[in-house]
Amino acid sequence: MTARERVLTTLSHREPDRIPIDFGTTSVTGMHVSTVAALRDYYGLERRPVKVQECLQMLGLIEADLQQALGIDVEGMLGRKTNFGFPIRDWKPWRLNSGLDVLVPGDFNTTVDANGDTLIYPQGDTSVAPSGRMPAGGHFFDVIVRQEPFDDENLNPSDNLEEYGPVDPVALEYFAHATRTARATGRAVVASFGGTGFGDIAHVPGPALKHPKGIRDIAEWYMSTTSRRGYIHQIFSAQCDYAIANLERIYAVVGDNIDIAFICGTDFGTQSSTFCSVNTFRDLYFPYYKRVNDWIHAHTPWKTFKHSCGSVVRFIDSFIEAGFDILNPVQCSAAGMDPEVLKSKYGDRVVFWGGGVDTQHVLPFGSPQEVREQVLRRCDIFARGGGFVFNTIHNIQAGTPVENIVAMFDAVNEFNGERSGNAATRRAV
Amino acid sequence: MPQLEELFEAVVNGDREAASRITQEALAGGIDAMDLLEKAMIPAMDEVGRRFECEDYFVPELLLAARAMKASMEFIRPVLAERGAKPAGRVAIGTIKGDLHDIGKNLVASMLEGGGFEVIDLGADVAPERFVDAVLNRGAQVVCLSALLTVTMNSMRTTIEALERAGVRDRVKVLIGGAPVTAQFAREIRADAYSENANSAVAAARQLVAAQVA
Repeated sequence: MTARERVLTTLSHREPDRIPIDFGTTSVTGMHVSTVAALRDYYGLERRPVKVQECLQMLGLIEADLQQALGIDVEGMLGRKTNFGFPIRDWKPWRLNSGLDVLVPGDFNTTVDANGDTLIYPQGDTSVAPSGRMPAGGHFFDVIVRQEPFDDENLNPSDNLEEYGPVDPVALEYFAHATRTARATGRAVVASFGGTGFGDIAHVPGPALKHPKGIRDIAEWYMSTTSRRGYIHQIFSAQCDYAIANLERIYAVVGDNIDIAFICGTDFGTQSSTFCSVNTFRDLYFPYYKRVNDWIHAHTPWKTFKHSCGSVVRFIDSFIEAGFDILNPVQCSAAGMDPEVLKSKYGDRVVFWGGGVDTQHVLPFGSPQEVREQVLRRCDIFARGGGFVFNTIHNIQAGTPVENIVAMFDAVNEFNGERSGNAATRRAV
Repeated sequence: MPQLEELFEAVVNGDREAASRITQEALAGGIDAMDLLEKAMIPAMDEVGRRFECEDYFVPELLLAARAMKASMEFIRPVLAERGAKPAGRVAIGTIKGDLHDIGKNLVASMLEGGGFEVIDLGADVAPERFVDAVLNRGAQVVCLSALLTVTMNSMRTTIEALERAGVRDRVKVLIGGAPVTAQFAREIRADAYSENANSAVAAARQLVAAQVA
């Protein structure tokens, strides 16, 4: 099987020749840039600064030589601009707090404040207030909330829609070119076009905007989902109209050069519970997800990808009903997210893209043997009957021991080896 | 006293304007500030916590109730302070060094405040020495450490070590929580207690203060 055939087979809930692997194709299935550099060193690849392709979480680009070494089956198209609103191009050197030299986009402009924190600016414009902060000694940015006063009696949904609107011709041209290039790799292609994430809390503060208006404070936004629900509906409804009009234009230039569309990263789960009830989900989010998914399924062959951290077991039926094909990151460490239960209850209806190993405890703090054992167990559960793409539970964080990451890849390969008849190593677990 | 019931309802329903107005009217009408705290505010926040535990309330409702509680406490707190009333305990809270996430921490702080504690909120990305300072110079009996990030959660350990080095570990209880934190991790780093959510943090803080007094 080719890499793409392998992915398409598992997406159609049939068992491929081996479990397909994704790393680095989206903002939620990647690795911190320092981790990518460590893996390049481990595999003896050419020493050169790694590019930061996602500048909020500082995720590193996994280039073709490392993809080859890791056996990656999926190619990503992350979009033309970063979360901070500047294009991903014109690479320049930058140094992490750890001292590692990396490459960042040309408009990745930063200053250091009195506290030693690194500040980053919307659209690279240092004349306006910064929109991201990396704490001194930290590894990635968090969005800075810039909430201007607002009049509760005269809220205008268009203030919260500034970052949405018709896709511009430059972006369309980029999508067309980038997806053509991605398709030529022979891997399955997942694309993040943007605009279809409803209420993603990483986007709510408007990190790409120079002067965000409307409701931008995170706590205020969460409260608004209850206390100003009509206003949020107005935002989502208009955003959904833009999204569908844009998808029509994007599909016209991208066509079948992608296999999977990343739709939304809004988190509905917490470690032990959820951010809202199922009723709220069905009232406030479901109709918009369904419109987007229905349009895609009616007009394209693409599969749709939903990310939500935390305990989302009670939402999975609704995700499926809303038309999502793929669920990520499958946070098995959260309440009620037992792999066996998830697979037996939902495994024939939704693809689990993630869940391969716990990045909160086992991968960063366990031993290589503990990593291997968990990966083999997870593969054993999730791979049955297809419907599984191997990925960690969310991005691999900075400081994760490289020997644990290697143990993870070795375990997937070991499992895949067993599937082609080599059972001896497996029995040693 | 209908105003106590009305304040209870306003806080539980997250109605900031009503909570503020009823509190002012009640105080002006001669209702005792301690009664407002003990017979309306604390029961209201307990009820909010109960609804959160049984998943009738979620983060948005908790935030709304906390905001209503704060609006009311703006008027209750000065009256109690003037009188020298003793809080349920004095707690210093912060998100640990290297971590900027503060929604969970803010919720815990609000629940504690609504539970009658005096809360010293140190903010996010708090260096260990600032927790030490809160114990040494501001009389914190309990230190609450919050973390969302796996990569920096070890700052909890270094904060506890800083309390030990400063010689104040035996006069303060340490309560920890946050998404990647577990009871086992709490034991490993010699914290006194772990709380899974904002509501149980109040019960844990009450127990820790009681243990300290005893």
